[in-house]
Amino acid sequence: MKTIVLGIGNPLLGDDGVGVHIARQLRTRISQPGVTIDESYTGGMNLLDLIRGYDRAILIDTIHKKDENVGSVNRYDLSDLPTIHSCNPHDTSLSEAIMFAKQLGDDHIPTEIIIYGISLQDHCRVFTEQLSHAVQHAIPKTIDLIISDLESMNN
Amino acid sequence: MKTVTIDPITRLEGHGKINIFLNDQGNVENAYLQIPELRGFERFSQGRRGEDMPQITSRICGVCPVAHHFASTKALDQAFNVDPPSAAKKLRELMYAGYIIYDHILHFYYLGGPDFIVGPDAPAAQRNILGVIEKAGVNIGKEVIKHRAYGQKITSILGGKATHPVSGLPGGVSKSLDGDEVANIKEMVDSCVSFANLSLKLFHEIVLDNESYVSLITSDPYQLNTYNMALVDEDNHLNFYDGTIRVTDQEGEEHLRFNGDEYYNVISEHVEPWSYMKFPYLKDIGWKGLKDGKNSGIYRVGPLGRLNASDGMATPQANKEYKEFFKTLGGLPVNSTLAYHWARLIELLYATERAKELIHDSEITSNKIRNPVGKPGEGFGVVEAARGTLIHHYKLDSKGLIKKANLIVATTNNAGAITMSVRDAAKGIIQKGCVDDGILNKVEMAFRAYDPCFACATHSLPGGMPLQVDIYDSNKKLYKSFQK
Repeated sequence: MKTIVLGIGNPLLGDDGVGVHIARQLRTRISQPGVTIDESYTGGMNLLDLIRGYDRAILIDTIHKKDENVGSVNRYDLSDLPTIHSCNPHDTSLSEAIMFAKQLGDDHIPTEIIIYGISLQDHCRVFTEQLSHAVQHAIPKTIDLIISDLESMNN
Repeated sequence: MKTVTIDPITRLEGHGKINIFLNDQGNVENAYLQIPELRGFERFSQGRRGEDMPQITSRICGVCPVAHHFASTKALDQAFNVDPPSAAKKLRELMYAGYIIYDHILHFYYLGGPDFIVGPDAPAAQRNILGVIEKAGVNIGKEVIKHRAYGQKITSILGGKATHPVSGLPGGVSKSLDGDEVANIKEMVDSCVSFANLSLKLFHEIVLDNESYVSLITSDPYQLNTYNMALVDEDNHLNFYDGTIRVTDQEGEEHLRFNGDEYYNVISEHVEPWSYMKFPYLKDIGWKGLKDGKNSGIYRVGPLGRLNASDGMATPQANKEYKEFFKTLGGLPVNSTLAYHWARLIELLYATERAKELIHDSEITSNKIRNPVGKPGEGFGVVEAARGTLIHHYKLDSKGLIKKANLIVATTNNAGAITMSVRDAAKGIIQKGCVDDGILNKVEMAFRAYDPCFACATHSLPGGMPLQVDIYDSNKKLYKSFQK
């Protein structure tokens, strides 16, 4: 089973990049054969390109939800993503990209896609490489969750 | 599991928001497009090494990394007083063509095309790439996937990873091409030329042969009679990578031409109290409000702006289609916002033909790909991003560190035009308070045609930007709200 763990975000935009920070730290913690750790700051079709060919994908990204505390971590699966119609003026959503690929007979799509969403206070609108304290605290927790995910997948 | 209302994959960097105000009769009094502001790019850049900027700026945007990469590299060429060798320029332009190929394919088939191929009134759930494939066939879908990937492959062969180009250096590029890579690119490019022609054939059959679509394209709510801007070569042919910025007027005549370093002399920026976005306009004409016409300094960039501001295309097949475009839509300039889509496909064909010329150029395998840099100073870099003219401006100190950095992005150049197009579409299409998804989609079509990059315009990453439309009654009370 080939697994990719993908940290998504823009490390130039503060908390937005927390997924990438987590991926970088995970690299020093995980050396399982069959597990690739990578980072990306893109969505939609480009994201699909990155996870194609793996059996499982674990994505780490930020989420903005009014009813969640900043820095809380939630685990979602792809069916939790609401949209078939793109909500992005530039690219499709990942779920739409996957449906399209499947319609064309693409059999290289991961059978399991898990998403860890770390809640942000607000949209990241200031260029900085610093993370807020609340979001920083989410890092060890998310790392533990992913490590335990990877362990249980192997069992 | 609970329902997630925000797609965590396509991140929310900020809402694009349209506010529509109705009058007592329920017709549109006015409509505004709002963009959130992102701050601190200049401060973030200060003190960084100039030569790091092509990598940093390519990470600003997940959509246009190559455009930022080369606007930045070209700004550094000028800032370090160096002219790259001819082979390096050709390698950059070839890589740039790869980017235009994948980006224009993405926009036409995934974003803009569904409105036409599936239909503007089709249910929202069908107006997407899946609907396109249902209508155009699975084989077209496979070709779309294949050629989008080819564009990316060309870009990544020349530039390292497609989304993280690393090849641009002040004075040249870091990587030459070997024989195997040339053979590989030749094969892909040939296929891309055919695919661009196939896409145009599809556009002719599905859109241009359908009278109702043509009348939609040429209908009043989608007309905007502004100045047009593009980067052109010495023959006034469009060039994505290099040239002079040319502005043409409402008769299609040249109004002025200038280089990047003259930008601040030619363009001013107007600020509106209701928007964070700046509205650039031609200084010599002046700001006359959000109006089109000869007395208003607002201009358009992007595929339609570019075709209007060029006298033709530098490659034969694209030039033939360029002529057909103006013949069909009533001559130069074409003011129909929805004609952006056709213009985009003509540019796709040009990019593929130009890539073919470049990969067959004997100089493309040259190893002379970098010239030594001079003393650091000030530089401007201009390219035509997929969405329009993009300018980077840096000032370096004596050690080559950034003192000042400013980016003027395509969507900022289009800010006035997009705002007016949305307003005029809303005014023309929403009547007597009647708003439903189909009507709203026709308003959105005015904005989608530009392929706007709001996140980028506000210096962020366009991972995702849901569009919110709020409609207010004549008492300024919220009447309806749509979240896309």
